[in-house]
Amino acid sequence: MVQSDPIIQTENLTKVYTSRRSQTRALDRLNLSVQPGEIFGYLGPNGAGKTTTIRLLLDLIRPTAGRARIFGLDAQAHAVEIHRRVGFLPGELSLWRSLTGLQVIRHIANVRGMRDLRCAHQLAERLQLDLSKRVRDYSSGNRRKLGLVIAMMHEPELLILDEPTNGLDPLMQQEFNQMMREVRAEGRTVFLSSHVLGEVQAICDRVGILREGELRAVERVERLTHVDFRWVEMRFREDVPAAWRERLGDISGVSEVSIDGTTLRVRLQGDFDPLLRAVSGGYIRDLRVKEPTLEEIFLTFYDGDGKRAAQPERVKELA
Amino acid sequence: MAGEFFKETVRRCWRQAVYWGVGMGLLGLYIMVVIRDVDMLKQYAELMATMPPALLQAFGIADAAAMATPEGFISFGFYGYALLILAVFAVMMGMSVTANEEDDGVLDVVLSLPVPRWRVVVEKFLAFALIGAAITVIAFGGLLLGMQMSELRVEVGRLALSTLNMVPPLLLMIALTVFCGAIFRRRTTALAAAAVVIVASYFINFLGAAAAGSLADSLRAVSFFAYYDSESVMRSGLNAGNIALLLAATAALVAGSVWAFQRRDIGV
Repeated sequence: MVQSDPIIQTENLTKVYTSRRSQTRALDRLNLSVQPGEIFGYLGPNGAGKTTTIRLLLDLIRPTAGRARIFGLDAQAHAVEIHRRVGFLPGELSLWRSLTGLQVIRHIANVRGMRDLRCAHQLAERLQLDLSKRVRDYSSGNRRKLGLVIAMMHEPELLILDEPTNGLDPLMQQEFNQMMREVRAEGRTVFLSSHVLGEVQAICDRVGILREGELRAVERVERLTHVDFRWVEMRFREDVPAAWRERLGDISGVSEVSIDGTTLRVRLQGDFDPLLRAVSGGYIRDLRVKEPTLEEIFLTFYDGDGKRAAQPERVKELA
Repeated sequence: MAGEFFKETVRRCWRQAVYWGVGMGLLGLYIMVVIRDVDMLKQYAELMATMPPALLQAFGIADAAAMATPEGFISFGFYGYALLILAVFAVMMGMSVTANEEDDGVLDVVLSLPVPRWRVVVEKFLAFALIGAAITVIAFGGLLLGMQMSELRVEVGRLALSTLNMVPPLLLMIALTVFCGAIFRRRTTALAAAAVVIVASYFINFLGAAAAGSLADSLRAVSFFAYYDSESVMRSGLNAGNIALLLAATAALVAGSVWAFQRRDIGV
């Protein structure tokens, strides 16, 4: 794939919050590139630094060190120009409670200098959102929908969405996924943070995984689901000898050995051959290999020993 | 689009101007009709003369005999208290420029729009300044209506100038609250800071006026209430120096607000 200029690029972007008593490194030397026309998923648990990254990109907060560029422009120096071309949905959306959905949209459209609200109405219709209600009367899901309308109504080149499907029902999540695919088909870019792994798996091209303010990996989603390990389940004609547990455990790449009567289940990292040789004394009736779910991969990145997490060369290679 | 925050703020808050203005107007009307004629006013002045002079001075009454005039009475009865009422309004509106929306999280949406931060501050300040001015106009209407219902007669021009004299300190108090909101991220801190400065300013002026030669008296220069002086405006017209000083302080506070707000993190 020919790489064009990145839409989002950060260089050693760092944010440290300082209070009288402590310093919190919310984001640590983030180096990230998001290419035009891709949907980039930004994964991490609460407190990992996802929202901090987004707020830095939008110049709501200022970096302690490093810098961010969007559309090739400095995020701080050219914030107004960047905001013209960006649609943003915050993680915790607050709007003017006394206004109706339509009044909010009109106000924001006026600030953006938009005259034509057809796109906003189409989006609202698609998301089944009643714009005549006051914001205070909306459910959290409907407030989220209104946020999506606001973020998308000017058809921005870049969408920055913080936990976009929070509070949406499954049908609306499907609709949202479809909308994101359409955005990508139009050559526009989406940067979305999420901890809903299914959502990321369904729509994202690449995923960045963040933990404790550090970017641990950036992978293509399909590659992420094919990396490192799989679950191997074998069913034997006879009961599996208990001694195999220790024997298999000694094989490099094999872990989490479980034996249940005639069934053996292991987590395999690396080649199959050593495992197959080790069980060659038994008669295998069935063998199944299951790819790990994104959630399992995700948890692997966050395991206690951090072995998988520490692969900076991969971040460099793919970012 | 330029002016959108100004228009939206006025559109959303014009009712406040009506409610506050009508309330202030009713106060003005009451003050006008409570003393029906000059004889009653003289009795009232005699009563006031029995009070300690320091206390009278604290309330901005240089001479109890001045209370025997409609101008002196209205200056004390209406304009003295009106500014205190407007102080509450000013803090409420000043908090609405950035502090409330920042605390609620609305500012995240606002500042993700293609608009520089300074414009949000300046346009909303101007909108609340207009609303504040509208309140004084409605209050002036109440005073005029009260004069029609009373035998007290005051030159309309003097009433108008005294009403106009409320606008600069009102703007200053809004600007002061905006400044506190621009400096502090937390709404409660901003609110407390603005309230403390206004209350302290009032008491410095109050105590300084009551105790000539005291420390409070020497500090009166830093109290913006000292430059309001409704009684002398009613007597001899606007003091251009005082007004210029208050407006200059207002402009400095708005500029300081923009400077502070432009530089800091939002809502963390």
